[in-house]
Amino acid sequence: MADVDIVIEICGSAGDGTISSGEILSRFMSSQGFEIMSFDSYPSEIRGFGKCVAHSRISNKKVLSPGKYTDILIALNNAHAISQLHTLRETGIVIFDNKPPNYLEEDQSIAGWIEPGMISYGIPLLNLSQKASGSARGRNMVALGALAAIFGIDGEQMKSAIHARYAKKNKVVIDSNINSFAEGFTWAQQHVTKVDSYTFGHSKPKPSKEKKAIINGNQAVAQAAIDSGLHLYAGYPITPATKIMEIVSRELPKKGGVMVQTEDEISAIGHVIGAGYAGKRAMTATSGPGFCLMSELANLAVMAEVPAVLVNSQRGGPSTGLPTRNEQSDLNIALFGGSGDSPRIVLAPTSVNECYTCTTLAFYLAEKYQTLVIILLDFFLSNSIRNITTPVPPKANQLNSNVAPTKTALKDYKRYKLTKNGISPRAIPGTPGGMCISTGLEHSEHGHPRYDRNTHPAMTEKRFNKIQGALSEAPKPRWVGPKKNVDIGVIAWGSTAGSAHEAVLNARKEGINVAFMSTVILSPFPVKEIKKFSEACSRILVPELNYTGQFANVLSPHLSRSIERLNMVTGLPISAEDILEKIRDMAR
Amino acid sequence: MPKKDHYVIIGNGPAGNSAADAFRANDKDARVTIISDEAFSFFYRHKLPQFVAGNIGEDDLKVRPYSVYKEQNIRLRLGQCVDRIDPEEKILYLRHMEKVGYTKLVIATGGSPRILPSLTSFEKHLRFMTGYNNAIKLMPEIQKAKTITILGGDLISFELVKALRTMKKKIFFIFYSKCFWPVELTGNMSAKICANMKKKNIEAYADDTVETLTEKGNLYTLKTASGRTFKSDLVCCFLGLVPNIGYIIGSGIDTERGVLVNEFMQTNYKDIYACGDCAQIYDPKLKDYWISIGWSNAGLQGKIAAMNLLGSSKVVKPLPKSIRDVVGIKIQTSWWDHF
Repeated sequence: MADVDIVIEICGSAGDGTISSGEILSRFMSSQGFEIMSFDSYPSEIRGFGKCVAHSRISNKKVLSPGKYTDILIALNNAHAISQLHTLRETGIVIFDNKPPNYLEEDQSIAGWIEPGMISYGIPLLNLSQKASGSARGRNMVALGALAAIFGIDGEQMKSAIHARYAKKNKVVIDSNINSFAEGFTWAQQHVTKVDSYTFGHSKPKPSKEKKAIINGNQAVAQAAIDSGLHLYAGYPITPATKIMEIVSRELPKKGGVMVQTEDEISAIGHVIGAGYAGKRAMTATSGPGFCLMSELANLAVMAEVPAVLVNSQRGGPSTGLPTRNEQSDLNIALFGGSGDSPRIVLAPTSVNECYTCTTLAFYLAEKYQTLVIILLDFFLSNSIRNITTPVPPKANQLNSNVAPTKTALKDYKRYKLTKNGISPRAIPGTPGGMCISTGLEHSEHGHPRYDRNTHPAMTEKRFNKIQGALSEAPKPRWVGPKKNVDIGVIAWGSTAGSAHEAVLNARKEGINVAFMSTVILSPFPVKEIKKFSEACSRILVPELNYTGQFANVLSPHLSRSIERLNMVTGLPISAEDILEKIRDMAR
Repeated sequence: MPKKDHYVIIGNGPAGNSAADAFRANDKDARVTIISDEAFSFFYRHKLPQFVAGNIGEDDLKVRPYSVYKEQNIRLRLGQCVDRIDPEEKILYLRHMEKVGYTKLVIATGGSPRILPSLTSFEKHLRFMTGYNNAIKLMPEIQKAKTITILGGDLISFELVKALRTMKKKIFFIFYSKCFWPVELTGNMSAKICANMKKKNIEAYADDTVETLTEKGNLYTLKTASGRTFKSDLVCCFLGLVPNIGYIIGSGIDTERGVLVNEFMQTNYKDIYACGDCAQIYDPKLKDYWISIGWSNAGLQGKIAAMNLLGSSKVVKPLPKSIRDVVGIKIQTSWWDHF
């Protein structure tokens, strides 16, 4: 079986069906046994004709990153696709509409921009769409049909996938899409002379025995939250976290839970803390600016020791920033945002799979350690579609991790009792004998406000100490490569970890002595493991998507050597190729 | 800032490329664009048979790498077909619905496959190899076929026979001495070809006309006037080229068999010149038009066309000894003489 590793981008204007055709392609190729990693980028403006790109990497090998260069670009809009050509490989393919309604002036067609070595296949997308569906709306499906015919994708099976995608729509919509696909497929079969070597035709992987789920990071978080016994979701819409709310609003009521769209983010975190105080599992999801608004009230969960799960899907900032672009620049505010010494648990999944596992873990940890747990996603992870092994829902013992007070303890109940591990048994309101005061003021063991010289140090230490237990319950940092005498060690977090992992594997194939570590838990910080890794490496590289190297700055005090940084703020996911290039530079 | 001149060349063969080089050498600032319907770089046509046989790769086909065009700032639009020329407005209409303006134009679109009138009704069953686009289409079919019939001929058909022998294919070779391109074969030459082919286990027949050609289940049955029947997996046709000028007809540019140009390669429009296999060049001495074929002729003409467009007055002179009369057309065959 030949290796297949092809990146396809569909580029169009809002309303061209760019994202839906990308989704159909990804889901279908996944059903054919290929590994996929897809993500979409779209304009932040709600109305208008901004640029949309559906990016899919399709491979019969394991995929860890989205791929920097595009092999096949489908242009549904000339101007937008021309601006996307910089990502096309030197030998890449362009599929474009060669029969627009009118002649275009010089250089307004993408065909004029195609460099020698690239190949273009002109397909009359508009004409075929009008023939098949009576409108221009089927251009995306015509393009998919042509793609399937040219690159050896099973057309009949793909038609079934399109049918499934639109099954809930009326017959006209279903037929229009399928007919448009069929027109494109047949036309390309009859008219296109294939002069490139890309194909999926002879490389279909063996069907996996594992049951697969095709989901993105937001879907994984929403599903995990519901599987974890979510009672209340409160939120205010914001890109790229809104999808979580959309799913929860649809699915949570079926499980008896409640979704509240609040008037703003402050109210949302207030709802979550209120529900948590009442003993219910609750969550909110937001992004940059919303996270800033929540940061003050979120501290109440820390001080009052109330379970709260807060998902922050990072986007470019500051302020409104880049709502539909990727960045990892909220690490500082996640770790340190808040008045006073404000310890919290911070988890940053590195993959869609971990979006699920981190969310279930977040509920468990929030309840057990009675504190704020922040899950740091980012735009890419939120929107990245992967075919993952169907997640296993949390076990019964994970669905209730509250450390409840004993009957004896309830006789003189101290809600904030100083214990060895810092965890004070928590009585849910209504528990006989469990009456107490909870406040954002510093307090005694009984919860009464106290500002004396002994209480605040003791309680501060308790709040810091108790979350240390989370380190042993979170996944250990992942170490890939040799355990000693390593020339270059790469440490990554969040969605950058996949690209870094792939870069390290490729660098090792080139003979470079390099190892990789990533960590899901960022607070409390896994100092021991990180230290051990860094001591095994002569040099350390930290790639991340922010300007100042926020993670490198967190690492730095714990390491005995200086850190080399690869900081990018392009709004795009960091690529394995970028990191590999940096590793090569360091190895020279 | 004044708008830069835009010199456009239609065609990416030897004539087109030497025209582009000459433009760039003499005008550093102008835009120079080559437009070609071939999806591939400037290639050696005579190497196509070895390419389809899999004996050489794409890099061996290339005359020059793409980097040369970048270095010379020559824009190469590949896989793009000119549908129409508007010489009054100086606009080219491309098939993918884009308009490209020019200040000076060189037409160097070479030739397209020549089909004898007796074969036109079988055209859908015939395979050609005039360029990369049809060679790449033919490649998997040739790889798969066990038996191949070649209707000859021209010199490329000999090259293909050579290449197919390396692939151990069974070959039937039927050629037409009167229509051999670019010169007629004498009876002696035909007999010699048949004898030489036979020695190499190739069944070769001269001047046997195709009566019927049918296809059933990917098997082609060809019956000839002499009663022979050939069954093969593929039928390839090599009968030379005719000037590729279909898109020019009706534009106002004078054409006959090819694009009519004077001895300076100029058409009836002052900013449009034509050269290479697609041009019919007037010779005041012959008082007739002649067509030149072959690589070096084309290259030379391309350069002269560009230079004259930039203000020179060079005359293209045929070598009288190499002018031949083929089915009533005067053809310069220096290429043939040196093959």
